[in-house]
Amino acid sequence: MGATFLGVRHHSPACARLVRDTILDQRPAHVLVEGPADVNDRLGELLLGHELPIALYTYHRGDGGAHASWTPFCDYSPEWVALTAGREVGARVRFIDLPAWHPAFADRDNRYADAEIRYAEAVERLCREFAVDNVDTLWDHLFEAAPEDGLAERLTAYFDLLRGDSAASPDDRAREEYMARWVRAALARDDGPVLVVTGGFHTPALRALVADGVRGWTRPADQAGGGRATTGTTDRDRTAGGGEPAGSEPSAGRAHSGEVGGSADGWPEVPRSTGGASYLVPYSHRRLDAFTGYESGMPSPEYYHWLWHRGVGAAADELVRSVVTRLRGRKVVVSTADLIAARTLADGLARLRGHDRPARVDVLDGLTGALVSEDLDRPPPWARRGPLEPGTHPAIVEMVAALSGDRVGRLHADTPAPPLVAAVQAELLAAGLDGAGLVGLDLADPVDLDRSRLLHRLRVLGVPGFARETGPRGGGDPEPRERWLLRPDDHRVPALIEAAAHGATASDAAGAKLAARLPGADVAELSAVLFDAALCGVGAERVLALLADEVGRVGDLVALGRVLADVLSLWRHDRLLGTAGSPALGAVVDAAVTRLLWLAEGVHGGPAPAEPGRLRAIVAVRDAVRHAGPVVTTGVPEAVAVLSRVSADRRVPPDLRGAAFGFGWSLGCPVDAAGAVRGMAAPATMGDWLAGLFALARDEVLTAGGVVGVLDEVVDALTEDEFLVALPALRQAFAFFPPAEREAIARMLLELRGVTGSARALLRTPVDPVLVAEAGAVEAAVDRVLAREGLA
Amino acid sequence: MSDQKDLQRPPAEVRFADELARLRADDTAHRPPGWALSLEAARRFIVGDESRDVSRKFVGDPSLVDRCLVTLATSRGLLLVGEPGTAKSLLSELIAAAVSGESTLTVQGGAATTEDQVKYSWNYALLVAEGPTPRSLVPAPMLRGMAEGKVVRFEEITRCPLEVQDCMLSLLSERVVAIPELTGPDGMVFARDGFNVIATANTRDRGVNEMSAALKRRFNFETVFPIADFATELDLVEREAGRLLERSGVGAPPRRDVLEVLVRTFRDLRGGVSSTDRLSTVMSTAEAVSVAHAVGLRGWYLRGEAGSAADVVECLAGTAAKDSPEDLARLRRYLEQQVPRRTGAQWRELHLARHLLPG
Repeated sequence: MGATFLGVRHHSPACARLVRDTILDQRPAHVLVEGPADVNDRLGELLLGHELPIALYTYHRGDGGAHASWTPFCDYSPEWVALTAGREVGARVRFIDLPAWHPAFADRDNRYADAEIRYAEAVERLCREFAVDNVDTLWDHLFEAAPEDGLAERLTAYFDLLRGDSAASPDDRAREEYMARWVRAALARDDGPVLVVTGGFHTPALRALVADGVRGWTRPADQAGGGRATTGTTDRDRTAGGGEPAGSEPSAGRAHSGEVGGSADGWPEVPRSTGGASYLVPYSHRRLDAFTGYESGMPSPEYYHWLWHRGVGAAADELVRSVVTRLRGRKVVVSTADLIAARTLADGLARLRGHDRPARVDVLDGLTGALVSEDLDRPPPWARRGPLEPGTHPAIVEMVAALSGDRVGRLHADTPAPPLVAAVQAELLAAGLDGAGLVGLDLADPVDLDRSRLLHRLRVLGVPGFARETGPRGGGDPEPRERWLLRPDDHRVPALIEAAAHGATASDAAGAKLAARLPGADVAELSAVLFDAALCGVGAERVLALLADEVGRVGDLVALGRVLADVLSLWRHDRLLGTAGSPALGAVVDAAVTRLLWLAEGVHGGPAPAEPGRLRAIVAVRDAVRHAGPVVTTGVPEAVAVLSRVSADRRVPPDLRGAAFGFGWSLGCPVDAAGAVRGMAAPATMGDWLAGLFALARDEVLTAGGVVGVLDEVVDALTEDEFLVALPALRQAFAFFPPAEREAIARMLLELRGVTGSARALLRTPVDPVLVAEAGAVEAAVDRVLAREGLA
Repeated sequence: MSDQKDLQRPPAEVRFADELARLRADDTAHRPPGWALSLEAARRFIVGDESRDVSRKFVGDPSLVDRCLVTLATSRGLLLVGEPGTAKSLLSELIAAAVSGESTLTVQGGAATTEDQVKYSWNYALLVAEGPTPRSLVPAPMLRGMAEGKVVRFEEITRCPLEVQDCMLSLLSERVVAIPELTGPDGMVFARDGFNVIATANTRDRGVNEMSAALKRRFNFETVFPIADFATELDLVEREAGRLLERSGVGAPPRRDVLEVLVRTFRDLRGGVSSTDRLSTVMSTAEAVSVAHAVGLRGWYLRGEAGSAADVVECLAGTAAKDSPEDLARLRRYLEQQVPRRTGAQWRELHLARHLLPG
């Protein structure tokens, strides 16, 4: 009895239909499904009666850090249909792939991603051949929107072509060899038809492996080996297990014969995890649609949900209805004429593209043509296959939202609770934080730091009942103490179950939650996320990698300057939260410096009051290139070159020019400070320019000396009116000097003028400045009268 | 039309006459009334079909071509919008050639375009001699397109004065032009099957925002995007630049690595890398071709070799940064900060040549 191989695309309704029909038709004895073999003994849990989508959440903590991945199921997943329909006809259903924590999955988050995407060349060729934009459209064209006749043959041809002779990765090969062993084991039992449902990319290889191996493989030989097996099989074990089971070989024999799915021996052993677990979590269509790049699979889950339940035509109608409802909900006018136009276009496109009824992209194209009467900034995501980009047309945003849908899964009440619940409760207990009331923590104490991190993680996860009353507020805040108010809350457990989707421990969950806050966040939010990550002591590497990316897009100099200052102080000093010297922080520093230099060069505008935020941003850049040299790819000379251009540019506001000038000076470049001061001596701009200079090069101004003298000359030469114009900005500029340094300046002035006296007395007049001003005014009035009368 | 050989640029229906003829001969699918080809064949003509030896003429998304063709088969006009240099005019020419077998019914929009140039004017000598008669009428492209059932192209429609744009309104909805000077049946020209309008507009000069809502409603908008795929764009630039250089008598084909640098730079400055702002100048593929052409000319006529990455810098300053100091600054920053991050001798060469930028 041979095996029937069904190659499917994960989450494809057409494939699900084929799987169901084949199972009902063949009534196989064994249904082998691509899925984690380690949950075979818990398949009952999957079939408790959940509301889909759900996912098997697998979490593993290895030497290389924690790794989590999902095996998502929705109503129309071929794997899910194989599972349920197989059970219905009384077949033995088993998952046959390596567990999700196996090294072969080390860089995968989504088990059911499209494998063929990683081998893009064949896909591209096919798209060209059928004149479609991308693989999703191609798939709809060939399978979802195509007649059912010959579907199986078409699928086989498609996947054979894709696989061709392309060399699969070692990870894929390891998985295929392992799956082939299950198929051989099922065939060897010889007790009925065997149906194998796997990703279509693997099917051709699997078929070949089974055909090759079946001759050399006999059940008695394997039994004789008693788990240690013949040499040939052991070799395969090693390949498949990636070294994992090799160390536990003696005990593997027992696991092999006794534990796997409670079935009799003969089945391949299942590599056992040392620190991993799988749990069911509720999933959502939105998350299913959120995988990108190599993790992505079929897009538009809500649309395919309709298609699975109600067919292509109804799915198209439902899509239009949903988009229109959403748009009208946002007060966008969608007229009947628009709908007629959309329908006409969609039908026309369907006919041109050879579809009986409008397929997904036909409908979307029709809607876009009818509803968008503007030029688009970006191609719609279904044309270029990828996530929504900022600046996407609002109508298209709603279309994508309608395609993703809001459907959220729900687990049956008897489902074992996800690990986070127990983990958090245990952690709280161990940290002595399971009570109520006020808790004071000293962050310098390692025990308290751990407790603080736990509380912050729960706060970030939105678990109610943990509120921080006081504590450090930002990257530069030296406050080492925190005070928390703990309040027991009925909603804690439900919130934890929700949060479990983010991770299995408070730390992972908080990290993932923080990462989820990043897309579309502005810099203020980014900065908050960053600081939260530091407080939580979690996932900072991943968060920061994303952050480094986002920083490159920020358009606000001041806000980004604040972020850089925070990040830089975390990178340089923060031993408290353990972030000092972190390479990921370094990457953010680097990206922020590059971006800030870029933004600084773009600031134009006439004389304007000095903007302290802007100056702080330049200070942050200076500190970064000075102190974080090893992580900043922009070298000092390049940075100085940029800012010396800024300082020489007349269109740049004076404060920024001053700061740019101070930038080079403070980094030790030779400058003609006295000449520069003279050049900027106009009363309206002098103060602002100096504010910039002092913000950056306070020290140099004091030690070099010359500037004070020149300033004295310049101010002395001002007329009374000019001085009044310059005064406010000058005052602001000198505020950059602390009192002691102001005194030093006063002393220099006294020396320059050859006067002896108390410098301090110059700074602190015993008289009210208003009185002095009034006296000045009186004096001026007298002078005017004298002049009028010719007595001056 | 006796000798097409010495034409600088014959229209699409002449350039690809044999392909059109073959497609027409093999065309068994249903044709919309008034069309020279079926939609399937028209699509094949534009996106190409290797098995029938039909060349690929437009490298953008195939779905765009589908949408354009279907739009033309409905009662709405087609408006192609996009940055300059994204092959909008080429696409409209190809579509017109495929649908009507003729792409020369074209109105070129501009500030000086008048209604006469859109609908009709008079031969004044005849008008004075005979009065208003069909003989003295000089039909403009719209009128001819309607009477003959052909696709009319309206280039740069948004550059026309608004009142000229609005004369398209009745034409597109009523599908009739009234000629009040003529009496009887000659006074009304009704559109025949096959008539439709392909307008183009670019998003830089003057966007579509000023277009009246009424006119917008009569068009389906299709945005033409720059080429998404790097390799495709590189191939196109190589092919086109090679052709231009050959025609300019340059003996050395462009260097692939230099073109790579050039195309990548264009894509980055178009808005590709995160820490770089987009240039305000258009960084289109067409512009890349002209820079590649200039680079090749410099290399050949100044030094007798293919152009180098240093030539790219010099040519970029003139074409990409044009007269905008901001763009020049952006370009300088790009050369200073982004280029050193890339590996390869050609990128190093580009980086070293950064001081060739003026200013």
